Amino acid sequence: MNRQEFQKFSQHGLVFAIIMIFLVLVDFQTMFATVISKILGTNVLRGGLPEVQYMVIFLVLYSLWMGWFISRKEENKSRRIIMTLVASLTAGVVVGLFGLILNSLIQSGTDVRRYLAALSPESMKLFLLNLDGLGPLALLGVFTVSGLLGGVLSIILQSPSVGKWPKTIKTGISSTWQKFTGSLPPFIRKNAKYLAYLVLGIVIIVLPTRWGSYNNFVTGLVGLYIILGIGLNIIVGLSGQLVLGFAAFFAMGAYSMALLNAPLPHGLMWGFWPALLVGVLMAVVAAILLGLPMMRLRGDYLAIVTLGFGEIIRILLKSDLLSDFSGGPRGIQDIKGPTIFGLPFNNDVQFTYLIIAGVILAIFVYNRLENSRTGRAWLAIKEDAIAARATGINVQRNKLLALCIGAAFAGLAGAFFAARNQFTGPNDHTLMVSINILSIVIVGGMNSIPGIILGAFTLKGLPEILREMENYRLLVFGGLLVFMMIARPEGLWPAKRPQLEKKIKPDTRDGDTPGKGDKNE
Amino acid sequence: MQSKETSTPQIKRSKLPKQIRQGFGIIVLLLILWRLYLVFGVEQEYTVDIWARLLISGLVIGGVYSLIAIGYTLVYGILRMINFAHGEVMMVGTFAGYLVLEATKSITVPTPDNSLLSFSNAYPIISVILAFAIGMLIAATTGYFLEKIAYRPLRKAPRLIPLISAIGASIFLQNFAQLLFSPQTRDYVNPDIISRGAGWTMMINDSKVILPYTGVLTFVLSILLMIGLYTMIKKTKLGKAMRSVAMDKQTAALMGIDVNVIISRTFIISGALAGAAGVMWGLHNGLVYYFVGFLPGIKAFTAAVMGGIGNIPGAMLGGMLLGLMESLGPTALGISYQLKDVISFVILIVILIFRPNGILGEALSEEKV
Repeated sequence: MNRQEFQKFSQHGLVFAIIMIFLVLVDFQTMFATVISKILGTNVLRGGLPEVQYMVIFLVLYSLWMGWFISRKEENKSRRIIMTLVASLTAGVVVGLFGLILNSLIQSGTDVRRYLAALSPESMKLFLLNLDGLGPLALLGVFTVSGLLGGVLSIILQSPSVGKWPKTIKTGISSTWQKFTGSLPPFIRKNAKYLAYLVLGIVIIVLPTRWGSYNNFVTGLVGLYIILGIGLNIIVGLSGQLVLGFAAFFAMGAYSMALLNAPLPHGLMWGFWPALLVGVLMAVVAAILLGLPMMRLRGDYLAIVTLGFGEIIRILLKSDLLSDFSGGPRGIQDIKGPTIFGLPFNNDVQFTYLIIAGVILAIFVYNRLENSRTGRAWLAIKEDAIAARATGINVQRNKLLALCIGAAFAGLAGAFFAARNQFTGPNDHTLMVSINILSIVIVGGMNSIPGIILGAFTLKGLPEILREMENYRLLVFGGLLVFMMIARPEGLWPAKRPQLEKKIKPDTRDGDTPGKGDKNE
Repeated sequence: MQSKETSTPQIKRSKLPKQIRQGFGIIVLLLILWRLYLVFGVEQEYTVDIWARLLISGLVIGGVYSLIAIGYTLVYGILRMINFAHGEVMMVGTFAGYLVLEATKSITVPTPDNSLLSFSNAYPIISVILAFAIGMLIAATTGYFLEKIAYRPLRKAPRLIPLISAIGASIFLQNFAQLLFSPQTRDYVNPDIISRGAGWTMMINDSKVILPYTGVLTFVLSILLMIGLYTMIKKTKLGKAMRSVAMDKQTAALMGIDVNVIISRTFIISGALAGAAGVMWGLHNGLVYYFVGFLPGIKAFTAAVMGGIGNIPGAMLGGMLLGLMESLGPTALGISYQLKDVISFVILIVILIFRPNGILGEALSEEKV
């Protein structure tokens, strides 16, 4: 190994050490250890610290990952070992030095929390594994040893005998699955799809009554974001216009519901369903007003303009100018829920049903649209607007239509949202909401309904369940967006259409993915 | 297949938005003129000294916007992408300057007459220079790594992808700062000499108008930085390389220019400018918190678009104009000061409707679009 290579490897280690230091600066490691401790069955009190062994587990996992990550692409085994040794020794030394600084901070009793808010003495002590002066040495040891182990692990994982495992497991599962389906009576096999829907339907009907109001609340939230995600996907995914002010349409729906169906400020009690209709219509009107002048703009300009539009709506709602009309910064309270045949909806279970019905409606409409003439026109516009115009598609009108339909979904979700929370205010419609929805679409997978559902669960549901992560949610989320764009821009659950398009090309092998893809053809 | 007869009316129909646009524009213009007539001609509620105050604050804010807008324009000119995280780069600069000033405040040094003074009060010029230098350095580093981590792997991806990555980076930086420094709003610790509110006093119309030192510092420094940047772009080799990469990356590469290095340096330069703007913002407005970069970032983007994105003098002009409009606008139009943010967004929308290429912008060719 020459000097240059040595430098390169130690640089890798340095990068990981710096990441670790940044994590410590925001106290990320304590949160992670708490989550590990929770997963392994030891609950940690809110505000309390996890036990030290979980911190060790976190550090070992981190450096295993480091060792694996650094050496995964190297062919030569002995070089791999040297590489990871150099890198993890560097990382260990740097982190150890950082530990020394932390230790001296603890010893001198300086309170750094005035500047670095997250660095409390307790969590610093925990990071030093409660060993005080020996802590830095222990860190050095942990990083070096488990970094090296990570390198060894990557060798084992990539060796031919182990490399086959995933495939063996996969074929094993699929063969048992085939055996299982083969043993079923033919009636069930023929109607498997409908049976699956039936089971899903029963689960959807039964579950909300069983699992308590908090889970219903989370489910409802996820459901609302699924509707919003599908709506935004029509605009962004199908017609290819990046809209960053989607929360404005959401606000239109929510405020229509609030103004028309609450005792204050206007005392209009129109009832839920007319207000819902007005909310959807208002969202569409807003979309037309915004869309007509804006359709000419291209990608990123449109993004910023819609962002500006969303902020205008929010600032107006918040300002004194409209406070008599829409409650100003305080928002509107006591929004009445819906009634069906005189039966009032007032608990979470019923709202969950309502939202699930909304989700099903949204999925249905989306599916009809996607495969319609309009949907194909949108996709054509997204791919190449000039070519689409040449084939006789009215580009502007179709784009506007996509914006309107997407906005209608947002209006629907907004109306549900206001009625369910019985409250809406300007802070429910910030830019963060728009960005959240966009991220659901992107992280889940554009143009893919299962992807959007998965995205809504991961981005809205998971943080609600893992409350420890609350503070770090947006941090992780921002990092995740960047990472996803680099590593997997098509999303967690990519859409099927691009794969189908690939299949049509003559030079691709057929029969690679049998089953689902063929059915849709 | 569509015949000629059916396609002709379609072309006619697609002209409709243009008429709507024009009608909308005329209505907006008339409304603004009417409002201005009322405020200046009929009510005459505000005296000259009020306008002088607003003018001063507008110019100062305009200088800050210009510096940030240049960053947007430089990056857009070269990569054709909106660096959505640019406002956060500015925020990083603000925090770095804050920490430097806080550190210089906490160090005490003996003065000639044997009394103890904090470093920032004993040597205000040095500590402010230090704050600017470190703020610019850290912001430039942030810009460099931002490009390297979040944008470089996406150089060849479709347009939406880098934009979303930029949004992700922006959220990440904001929340990192929030976790690091807690969400509370902190006071910027200016050296006593240039504390906020201190300044030259002028008498206009028998009432005091203060020309704040921080404001003058901000304005002069931003003008100097802009002149420096402009000369650099026009005269130096690096500037020439940047211009050629902005024109055509492939040809530039064929002429022996390392495109990646030039892009990196562009991000460093725009980061340094944003860092300077951040320290100025802190010194003049006196507050720093994790969200401090967001609104200036968006508004500076508005300014860049207003001047014609990709055009450096345009960004300077746009920034100044936007600062003035934002400061004078609410009073001139007689609306609540709460709505000053609305003004800049409305300006953005109106400009994009009527003149998407901005004031000084060239008509963008199809390739650039």
